[in-house]
Amino acid sequence: MSTQNIVQTIARTLDEEMGKDERIVVLGEDVGKRGGVFLATENLFEKYGPDRVMDTPLSEAAIIGAAVGMAAHGMRPIAEIQFADYVYPGFDQLVSQAAKLRYRSGGQFTAPMVVRMPAGGGVNGGHHHSQNPESHFIHTAGLKVVYPSTPRDTRGLLRTAIADEDPVVFMEPKRLYRAIKEEVPEGDETIPIGKANVRKRGDDVVIISYGGSMAEAQRAAEELEKQQISTELIDLRSLQPWDKETVLDSVARIGRAVLVSEAPHSLGFMSEVSATISEEILDSLLAPPMRVSGFDIPYPYAYDREYLPGPNRILRAVQQVLDY
Amino acid sequence: MIKGTPRFEAFTDEPITLVSEQGKWVGDFEPDLSKDQLRGLYRDMVAARLLDERFSRLQRSGRISFYASSSGHEGAQVAAGRAAQAGRDWIFPYYRDSAMVLTLGMPTREIIGQMMATRLDPNRGRQMPAHPGHGPLKIYTAASPIASHVPPAVGTAISMKLQATGEVTVCSLGDGATSEGDFHAGINFAGVQGAPIVFLVQNNRYAISVDYNKQTASQNIAMKAHAYGMPGYLVDGMDVLASYYVLKESIERAREGFGPSLVETTVYRYGPHSPADDDSRYRPKEEVEAWRKRDPLPRYRRFLENEGLWDEKQEKELLASIEEEQKAAQQEAQEAGKVPLEWMFEDVFAEVPDFLREQQQRLSPEEK
Repeated sequence: MSTQNIVQTIARTLDEEMGKDERIVVLGEDVGKRGGVFLATENLFEKYGPDRVMDTPLSEAAIIGAAVGMAAHGMRPIAEIQFADYVYPGFDQLVSQAAKLRYRSGGQFTAPMVVRMPAGGGVNGGHHHSQNPESHFIHTAGLKVVYPSTPRDTRGLLRTAIADEDPVVFMEPKRLYRAIKEEVPEGDETIPIGKANVRKRGDDVVIISYGGSMAEAQRAAEELEKQQISTELIDLRSLQPWDKETVLDSVARIGRAVLVSEAPHSLGFMSEVSATISEEILDSLLAPPMRVSGFDIPYPYAYDREYLPGPNRILRAVQQVLDY
Repeated sequence: MIKGTPRFEAFTDEPITLVSEQGKWVGDFEPDLSKDQLRGLYRDMVAARLLDERFSRLQRSGRISFYASSSGHEGAQVAAGRAAQAGRDWIFPYYRDSAMVLTLGMPTREIIGQMMATRLDPNRGRQMPAHPGHGPLKIYTAASPIASHVPPAVGTAISMKLQATGEVTVCSLGDGATSEGDFHAGINFAGVQGAPIVFLVQNNRYAISVDYNKQTASQNIAMKAHAYGMPGYLVDGMDVLASYYVLKESIERAREGFGPSLVETTVYRYGPHSPADDDSRYRPKEEVEAWRKRDPLPRYRRFLENEGLWDEKQEKELLASIEEEQKAAQQEAQEAGKVPLEWMFEDVFAEVPDFLREQQQRLSPEEK
């Protein structure tokens, strides 16, 4: 057990897993000597060498595509895309190759691989270093998508993703990379893909979020406690598959839900959560589920924080569902 | 044969030819294939041509929805199928490679099963016709998005190199595919890694209707290999022996650690791109006829006859036996029956997740 932030946890977890399984190869831009631009692969090159910690040409299509072939051939590649915003040149490789290989070959060929990518805003990066493209991946049959928000969940989910028999898009909340430290166990703890975490129990309203926005959701929940409003706080952690059961249990019991995601509003993941709540437990609702989202605009450089659904916007939405 | 200096020169202006159009050996070495092997190349080309004609008939009678004819490509494809080690080397076909997969040994009934989406399709009915795949033969199931298979092919070759398996990957594509970013991304990475892979470009001069001169300003495709740090061979793809020997050398050199190569074979697509295409809109009849005169099958037959390895009697027997075999294979493929509806939700993931089981319930009983 030691205290680690998220990015340290990634590097240590990769190290632990590479030490145990020779099939694991890390590949991407600057993952070698540089240790990754965020240092998520720090010290791996020195320990495992250039064949297992592979600096690649500056080509996301080559990184993701080669990972598909390596996986089909029996390795366990972990590809790093430097920023989620740069995944698009490799997007076809994810959609047409990684996601479809098992299905289109009738299970004859598979692509057990992980594609890691730092995502989200709040880092003064403008629209090409701040986006949340998870909806693209969730909408692609054949991909699993996770988006943890804490060091411990990062370790548990990364270990599960590496062991998974299917391609996993592993999104990392980069503004929280060094913002949170916690005790991270060193043993065999894994966290199943598709299982949410109820971070806090409450009675008046459920706030559901994931990834970077969990920090703002947490702050909103703390503020609400001061106002004597009891909040249940759920971290989805996985988006495909997602933990419908936990969400519906909480919302059905409490009747009011605020759904927080910093991705653009229209067809964001919370649209799916909201639609599912309406379809399955409409009679339990005391108010319509309310989404608090990023806006349907390119991520604005000069108003980095204003774009994000911060605690104030969350609190206003909570007030709306309480007043409904 | 492989060690030391390569037998063939890379980056020639004219295609490498070993058998003239009159069927005369013009190589500066003696072919070292056995008589059976030499006849085998012909048998494979004839089988592929007959299968192609069968698919055209099946398509016209509405029993398959699509077909990408490989007639005119047999020289290059049969050569590739024979030059690779079937079942050991990994093959990444594109959708016009039925002659190649047939030569590699994919059973005819399974190729037809794939065309008809019956239970004999190793892909379990998941793809439109002409997208074969075969696990045991390491034939990586074809994908429609052009050139998207190139980076994964390179990935397998990098894995082979890292694990020193002695396998080689053969990645097959058309001339149009070389314009895609994925082609560049993949071949560039292969060059950097020195991966054991051979890029086989079947240049039939048309990407559906768009001719070669609209595809690239490059004099040929083989020369593009130079920029990726590997040899590029320009080969007469209507000459099965030239295609075979150049591919064989490239594959074996890759196996011995000399890295990747690109082999451009000049071929011609005798039919339209697909049954939905009307090729008279974009290419003159005279052009098609001129290429017909260079047909790889009669050309190679002339060679075998000149060598005293083939006669009319053998030809008749071959045609009859292949026809019979393919008829039986089609019967078997058809009788296996359409893939069952229950398979529809399988193989999305290793295990069918709850949310897909739920969605499956939404099919009405009559659909089930």
